[in-house]
Amino acid sequence: MAPRPRPLSPHLQIYRLPLTVVLSISHRITGAFLVLGVLLLVALLVAAAAGPQAYAAVHGHVAAWYGQLILFLSTFVLFFHFCNGIRHLAWDAGYGYEYPTVNLTAYVALGATVVLTLLVWIVAITAWWGS
Amino acid sequence: MAQFRLPANSVVKQGKTYAAPPGAKRSKKFVVYRYDPDSEANPRLDTFEVDLDDCGPMVLDALIKIKSEFDPTLAFRRSCREAICGSCAMNINGGNTIACTKKIEDTQGDAVKIYPLPHMSVIKDLVTDFTHFFAQYASVRPWLRTQTPPPPDRERLQSPAERAAFDDNERCILCACCSSSCPSYWWNSDRYLGPAILLLAHRFIADSRDEATGERLDELEDPYKLYRCHTIMNCTATCPKGINPAKAIGKIKELIAARHV
Repeated sequence: MAPRPRPLSPHLQIYRLPLTVVLSISHRITGAFLVLGVLLLVALLVAAAAGPQAYAAVHGHVAAWYGQLILFLSTFVLFFHFCNGIRHLAWDAGYGYEYPTVNLTAYVALGATVVLTLLVWIVAITAWWGS
Repeated sequence: MAQFRLPANSVVKQGKTYAAPPGAKRSKKFVVYRYDPDSEANPRLDTFEVDLDDCGPMVLDALIKIKSEFDPTLAFRRSCREAICGSCAMNINGGNTIACTKKIEDTQGDAVKIYPLPHMSVIKDLVTDFTHFFAQYASVRPWLRTQTPPPPDRERLQSPAERAAFDDNERCILCACCSSSCPSYWWNSDRYLGPAILLLAHRFIADSRDEATGERLDELEDPYKLYRCHTIMNCTATCPKGINPAKAIGKIKELIAARHV
């Protein structure tokens, strides 16, 4: 009789994942979403180049609530990837590997993401109303 | 491709409960992963109610008590009980550590959950197969590689400052807590060396007496062996000796990058 295959010990099912892990996987996911965001940007640019009618059609979607929601999330994702990317740059330069520094920079990156996203939207909405 | 779920033969079932002896005033539940290679059954979780008034302070003491008083078939590795042998590495309440220095009173919640090191092949209960881990260690040839003959009248000398360059790496006890805590190692351990082995590879890269630094960096410059590290930092968070494998891996990446500029 062939020996029974040994079981694999539980991993994701039982590991208590710290904040750094959550940010690390989020960095990858947001990176993937940014590629989708680039597709939207290209669609907008192509439409603008194609003429006023095409642009108006795409703009109708962008200005709708779901378009605005996607834009808001894209801003958030962009700033998160940007801020967390700075942590990665620091690590690559040899800085910030110690605890509690890694947790501190994690909170700073998250805080900066929220602040930058809100700032951009406050400026955008103010400009919109002004026009 | 990473397999996020456990294979069918590894899914953990509910096991037996062993009640505390009558008269125990301060008992705590220990939920322990069990796997019997001689039966056809899946792994299971057994619960042992241990009287803390009649038990040593560490999680390892509780395991030894369980083995001697509840179930002598419980299998786990232990030796020195003072954090130098690295045998009793396991997953306690969701984090990897060595049971001999983990205080029971420091565990949170009403039960202490004890699993084998994550994403490893289980031989029995808390005993996992280290064959691959040690083979990876051997693959970095962890000894001084030299070209020049040693001085005839003395050993190869080193200043205290040169020695300090790998002080941290030197304290590693090869318990595999870090490697088995690393999601990247979970998904790619066939080719990624993992934090422990890279830490020890860096130990020789940083050693002023070693004459094969370039050769060692050549060997590590590989998309899988080294660059599956994404600075997730689980290794550093979990190391029971307070070593920083992530930083050592970062140093290796820096040295390789410096060769290209």
